[in-house]
Amino acid sequence: MFRVERLTKRFANGAGAGPLTLQLPRGSTYALIGPSGCGKSTFLRLLNGLLTPDEGTVEFDGQRLTPANLAAIRQRIGYVIQDGGLFPHLSARGNVSLQAEFLGWSAQRIAARMAELRELVKLPDDLLDREPARLSGGQRQRVSLMRALMLDPAALLLDEPLGALDPMIRAELQDDLQRIFAELEKTVVLVTHDLAEASHFSRDILLMDDGRVVQRGSLRDLTRQPANEFVERFVTAQRTLHAEAPA
Amino acid sequence: MNRPLALLGATTLAVAALLTGFATPAAAAETAVAVASKMFTESVVLGEVLKQALEATGLRQVEHKAELGGTRVLFDGLAAGELDAYVEYTGTLREEIFSGEDVATDRMLADALAERGILMSAPLGFNNPYAIAVLRETAQRLNLERVSDLREHPELRVGLSNEFLQRGDGWPALRAAYRLPQRAVEGMDHNLAYLRLRAGEVDLIDAYATDAELSRDDMVVLEDDLAHFPRYDSVVLFREATADAEPRLAAAIDSLVGKISTQRMAAMNAEVKFDGKTEAEVAAEFLADELGVSRSTPLPKQTVAAAIARRTWQHLGLVLGSLLPAITVAIPLGIVAAKSPAIGQVILAAVGIVQTIPSLALLALLMTAAIRLEIKTLGEWSPAALGALFLYSLLPIVRNTAAGFSGIAPQLRESAEALGLSPAYRLRRIELPLAAPMILAGVKTAAVMNIGFAALGALIGAGGYGQPIMTGIRLNNIGIILQGAIPAAVLAIVVQLGFELAEKRLVAPALRQAA
Repeated sequence: MFRVERLTKRFANGAGAGPLTLQLPRGSTYALIGPSGCGKSTFLRLLNGLLTPDEGTVEFDGQRLTPANLAAIRQRIGYVIQDGGLFPHLSARGNVSLQAEFLGWSAQRIAARMAELRELVKLPDDLLDREPARLSGGQRQRVSLMRALMLDPAALLLDEPLGALDPMIRAELQDDLQRIFAELEKTVVLVTHDLAEASHFSRDILLMDDGRVVQRGSLRDLTRQPANEFVERFVTAQRTLHAEAPA
Repeated sequence: MNRPLALLGATTLAVAALLTGFATPAAAAETAVAVASKMFTESVVLGEVLKQALEATGLRQVEHKAELGGTRVLFDGLAAGELDAYVEYTGTLREEIFSGEDVATDRMLADALAERGILMSAPLGFNNPYAIAVLRETAQRLNLERVSDLREHPELRVGLSNEFLQRGDGWPALRAAYRLPQRAVEGMDHNLAYLRLRAGEVDLIDAYATDAELSRDDMVVLEDDLAHFPRYDSVVLFREATADAEPRLAAAIDSLVGKISTQRMAAMNAEVKFDGKTEAEVAAEFLADELGVSRSTPLPKQTVAAAIARRTWQHLGLVLGSLLPAITVAIPLGIVAAKSPAIGQVILAAVGIVQTIPSLALLALLMTAAIRLEIKTLGEWSPAALGALFLYSLLPIVRNTAAGFSGIAPQLRESAEALGLSPAYRLRRIELPLAAPMILAGVKTAAVMNIGFAALGALIGAGGYGQPIMTGIRLNNIGIILQGAIPAAVLAIVVQLGFELAEKRLVAPALRQAA
């Protein structure tokens, strides 16, 4: 689904991602993980063209990303960020239907799709008329997911979607997300800094450091056969963290 | 005439009418005559005398554009054909209009004017030169009769109008001609000079020979024994073209020649300034006494309420007529400024510089431009006044729009981009609503500022609340000043409230607290 070649983006301070050459085949869930500043969010935002690479290319479904096809491709890639990125001036319903309205869908079609999605993310109907400020963090993420799925995109990019939530809600939403990913069979790329969460969603984890993927594999691979000392330290640190504060 | 041409003609006329702010009076069957006056009592009285003298000949469409901002405004208006006649002083013409040119005699002055299509009447009678005034008590104590006598009293404190301090024929020349020794010289507003003289804070001031104050007993004018001051004979300037089209214009002006003595003029000034008569009443009495003209119709009396209503209409016209175009120009400029910082710096610098131009200077610049372009400069809907207010409105709206757009949180900007919407749709549905509170605040600032600035419209006859404020300052009458100041303050408050209502309609509830 995604294919990147020599993809590089570096910021003035040296942070960034790349060079990266890899493929993310259709239908699976991929977890991008690594310490802060390792380039995982940069990589994610290169995938839907929010960042323009310094070098290299991104291909989505066989199409190379160019300024000309970017808008059309973005309509086929859902995007969810930490704390939703919902527009505060629109109701939840207004946020979710924005793309469909832009494409000129009929009111019935929008309502029908909205009902489906509401069912899928388990959001009570009356909450849809609220503005984001009057929703809880978990509810906002559900609305954000609805918005990302409105046009039934082929791929879904999520940047720390559970990062701002408290543990109880986080666990509940984690299960729901996993169910949704499994049901929809979409290509999902999820950024997290939590190894447990990464392994919860994915058996194809990409551990990044200084903009590069240092090891790719399942949690088991990362634990049993760390590619280098960094991987070992990262895995150990995460273990310790969870041992001290089980979540 | 074929049809497309007729249509084009009609459209052009309609556009021209719009551009000139419906300057053309409805009925053109009879010549409409516009007389004008400057912003001091004597000029306004003479404007009224001229108007009523014209009406006495049977002309019905005579308009008096009273209290305009200065010699330049009137003279240029006359040359441009927006005014038909006004009373001017020969000395002023030599000093301000033809300075540097050789117009020593009245004949030469008349010739110079004729080149511009302007005729000059014979003197109306009074000469109103600058004069030096002292309190009668001071004059008696120090035995002062002539300006030369001042040489013996270097200790005298001098209070001069700012204009006199700077004029070519003013204080510097007077001091040189008489070799005056006084060193304590300060500039002040002419209206305050008399108060300070009476209060004993200064000993001598400059004055006009016909000043209302000089008709009182407590002051004397020192004789200009070296004949330093040039003559300021009052004459009527009028347009040759109008005079050709309407013979009654010259006839009416001729009937005034030689009829107004210095004493009568000073008395008329005093009646307005001290006795509370209107300029129109004083002018009517003069015409009845001197020309035996009695009005067939009573003087139009306007109630305070009607006057305020009319000025409110004029004032709102100025504010809205400048604000609405400013909004349509400034919001796109603000958006461009936010999206492209390089261009944005240029835009913000440009509108910022406009803001630093003093309002009077900006008005004068635009008047000059309007005259060059041969568009209307005076009266209601004056493009110069609207233009100045328009330019002043730009900065707050551009700045706030740019800030509103730049202030959109990066994650919202990114979320909007990730949805794959068109830039136009994103602008309309996401960016503009998010920036709306800031934009609205900018428009509100511009509107409230404009309400204040619009008072300057009175300088070029655009009316509004500035009119009574200027009149009140001229007559030293707080009541009249308040007739302008209070409605202006009320209007500012009403506009504030209006914007709060608009905010409820235009800004999403969730964003209101942020604004």
